[in-house]
Amino acid sequence: MSAGANGATNAGGNDAASAGVRRAARALALLAALAMAAPCAAQVPPAPAPPDTAFGRYLETLSDSTDRYFGIAAEPVDTVGLDTVLASHGATTHPFGFTVMPAFSFTRVDGPVPGVSASISGSDDPMHPGFGTLGGKLAYATGPNDWMGYGRYHERLFLGVHAFDVQLWAGRATAFMNRDRDSRYLDTWRAFVWGGDGAHYLRHDGFAAALEHDSGPWRATLGFRDVLESPRDVSASWNLLGRRLVVPFNLAAARGRTHELALDADARWHLVRGEAQGWLSNAGLGSDFDYRRVRVAAGAELPLGRTLALVPQAAYGRLRGDALPQQAFYLGGGPTLRSLPRDDRGGTTLALARVDAVLAKDLLSLAHVEDSGALPLRLGVFAAAGAVRGPDPYGGGDADGDWPRRAAWRSELGASLQYDTALLENGSFLRWSVAWAVGPGAGRPRVSVVLSRALDLLRAPAQ
Amino acid sequence: MLAPAAVLAILLAPLPGPTVAVEDTMRTEVPEVLVRAPRVTLDEILARVARGEARRDSLLRDESFLATLRVVRAAHGDHPPELVAESVSRVYRARPHRVRTLVLRRWEAKPGKRKSGDMDMNFDASMDETIVNFAFRPGARDQFRYAIVGRDLVGGHLVYRIRFEPRSLLDPAAPHGLVWVDTNEFVIVRQEVGFDHPPAPPLISGVDRMVIEREFVDGMWMLHRVLLRLEFGLPLPKVGRGLDMSMQFDQIAVNRGIPDSVFTAPLVKR
Repeated sequence: MSAGANGATNAGGNDAASAGVRRAARALALLAALAMAAPCAAQVPPAPAPPDTAFGRYLETLSDSTDRYFGIAAEPVDTVGLDTVLASHGATTHPFGFTVMPAFSFTRVDGPVPGVSASISGSDDPMHPGFGTLGGKLAYATGPNDWMGYGRYHERLFLGVHAFDVQLWAGRATAFMNRDRDSRYLDTWRAFVWGGDGAHYLRHDGFAAALEHDSGPWRATLGFRDVLESPRDVSASWNLLGRRLVVPFNLAAARGRTHELALDADARWHLVRGEAQGWLSNAGLGSDFDYRRVRVAAGAELPLGRTLALVPQAAYGRLRGDALPQQAFYLGGGPTLRSLPRDDRGGTTLALARVDAVLAKDLLSLAHVEDSGALPLRLGVFAAAGAVRGPDPYGGGDADGDWPRRAAWRSELGASLQYDTALLENGSFLRWSVAWAVGPGAGRPRVSVVLSRALDLLRAPAQ
Repeated sequence: MLAPAAVLAILLAPLPGPTVAVEDTMRTEVPEVLVRAPRVTLDEILARVARGEARRDSLLRDESFLATLRVVRAAHGDHPPELVAESVSRVYRARPHRVRTLVLRRWEAKPGKRKSGDMDMNFDASMDETIVNFAFRPGARDQFRYAIVGRDLVGGHLVYRIRFEPRSLLDPAAPHGLVWVDTNEFVIVRQEVGFDHPPAPPLISGVDRMVIEREFVDGMWMLHRVLLRLEFGLPLPKVGRGLDMSMQFDQIAVNRGIPDSVFTAPLVKR
C-alpha cells in the first residue's frame, strides 16, 4: 500500500494526532539532513552518470521494447553445449559451388527444347582463389533435331577499388530477331500452351565477350562478338490446346558472320535514367555485314505526392548501312506499342514516346480489404505514340530517313493492371494491358500480358 | 543544534486533518543568447554518416562472433509463439576475403527429411555491414528521401533520428526506415525498417517490423542483431502464415588478430 493511501485512511481516525506528530518528526529530520548536507553538496556536486552509461541505457531502453515485441526470437542464446563443431563452412571445405538445374524452352522454330544447365563457382579464399563462375547449358531442340548449348564465364576483376565484370559466351543459341527485347519468361508458356509465340528468331553460332564497369550512378559495357547468324524455319506448329499459331511463319534473318563492336552506357540521376547504345560492324572488323546501329532511351519515375507515379519514357533508334532484319527496330507489343501485336512493324528508324501513370497503392488496400499483401494489384493508365521508317523486314516500307514520316505515327491509349512480384525478376511485375489505337488505324482494343519493369524501354538496372 | 529552517518547519507543522496543497512553481530568467554557429544541414549529416561508416569499415581488420539464427513460428489464435529452428555458429573473418564458419548447434522442433545443414548460415568474407548502412551509402543517396525527425542529447552523445523513404513509388522491394545516428562518430547504432508494399508477393505478403541493432565492442559499433517479422501470403509447412526471424551476433571480438591457421586448418570434430 502506498504512503499516500495510508495517510488518507488515517486522516480522520483516532490516530490522527500521533500521525501528525510522526509527519512533523519526519519533516524535521529531513530538513535537518538537508541543512547539514547542503554545504557538502555545494563543495562536491553529485557526479553525473558517465556519458556512455547513459547512452547505453538509452539504447537498452530501445532494445527492451524490441525484446518485448519479438519475444523468444530475441532471447539471448544459450551458450551451454557449444563446444562441439558440427560442420565447417569456408574456404577449406567448400572450395567450389556447383549447381545443376533442368531447363526447358519452347518456340515454334525449335519445338520443345529440354536440357540441363550447370554452373560452378570458385570461393573467395586466397588459399583457393576464386575463378569466377563457369556455367553452361546443353539442350536438344526436338523440332529441327539439333543439339544446342553454350558455355558462359563470368569473373569480377578489380583495378584498385573499381570492379570490372568480364563475361564470355560461346556456343549455339536461338536469339530474338528484335535485339532490343530480351524477356523470355512468358514466351515459352505462350508458345507451348496456345501457340501465342509472336517473336521471330535466328540462330547464333560463335562467341561473345563483354567488359562491364558499374560505378553506381553510371554503367558502361564494351563488347565484341563473332557470330554466324542464320535463319530459322518453323518446325513446331502444334501446341497443347491445338490452336492455330498466332504467327505461322518466322521472319528470315540474313545469313552471314558478323563481327561486331558494341558500346552500351547508362546513367541515372535520382529517378531519371538514360542510356545510349551503339553497334558497329563492317569489313574492317572482318564482318560480312556493314551497319552502324544506335539507340538512345531515357525515362523517369516522377512521384506525384505519394499516391501516383508518372513514368515518361522515350526511345530513338537509327540503323545505317545494311538493313538487316536482325538489326531492324521493331514496333509492337511489350515495351513499345501495346495496341499492336508483338514486333508487328519494322524499320531502320524508330521513334517512340510513352507515359504511364500508376497508382502507388494497390487496389485492395484502397478498397480497405484486409490482408491484401499477397495480391498487390496496381492500376495504371497510359498513352503512347510511335513510328518506324525505312525498309520493313516484312516487306515494303518507305525510304530511309532520320525521322518517321508524319503519316506513320500511331497513337494509343490504355489501362493496365500490374501485379508486383519479385519472384521472377527483381523489380518486375506482371502487367495486363488493354490498349486502344487512336486516330488512323484505330481498331478493336488489344489485350496483352507481359512481364515488365517500370522503365521497360531501358535495359534492366544492375542488381 | 537545529537549523532555523527546521524550527520553522516544526512551528508550521500542519494540524491533523485534510490540508490544501499550494502550488509553488520556481521561476527564473536567463538572458537570451544569440547563437551564430551555422546549423549542420541534413546533407552534411548524410555526408558525415557516409564517411563515418566508411571509416568504421576501414578500421576493421578481423572479427569473430557467435552467430545465432532463430526461426520462431508467430503466435496465431490461441497458439503461442513456437521456436521452429535454431542454428549457432562461430564465425571468423579477416581481410582480405577470409572467412570460416564453424557450426556449433543445429536444432529443429520437427526435423524433416531436409539436409541437416539447411539452416546453417552462410557468411561471406565481407565485413561491410550493408544491411545497416544500405540507405546511407553514397551510391544510394539519390534513391531515398531523408528527414531529421528528432535529436536526443544522451550522456554527451547527440543522437540524430533520421527517417528515409524510397523516392520510387513503384519498386515494391524498396524499404523505408528510421535510423539512430550517434554523432560522436557518425555511425548508425540502430535502425528500424519497413516496407510500404509487400516485398516479394505472393510468397512474402508483408514485413511487420524489422529492427537492426549495433553494439559498441572494442571501440567499434558492430552489428549485434537483426530481427524481423514476416507474413506469408500462403501458409508454409512448419511455420504457417507468419514467422519471426532473428540473427544475433554475440561474443564479438574485433581486431584481435586471428591466426591464419583458423582459416586453413582442417576441421576436427570432437
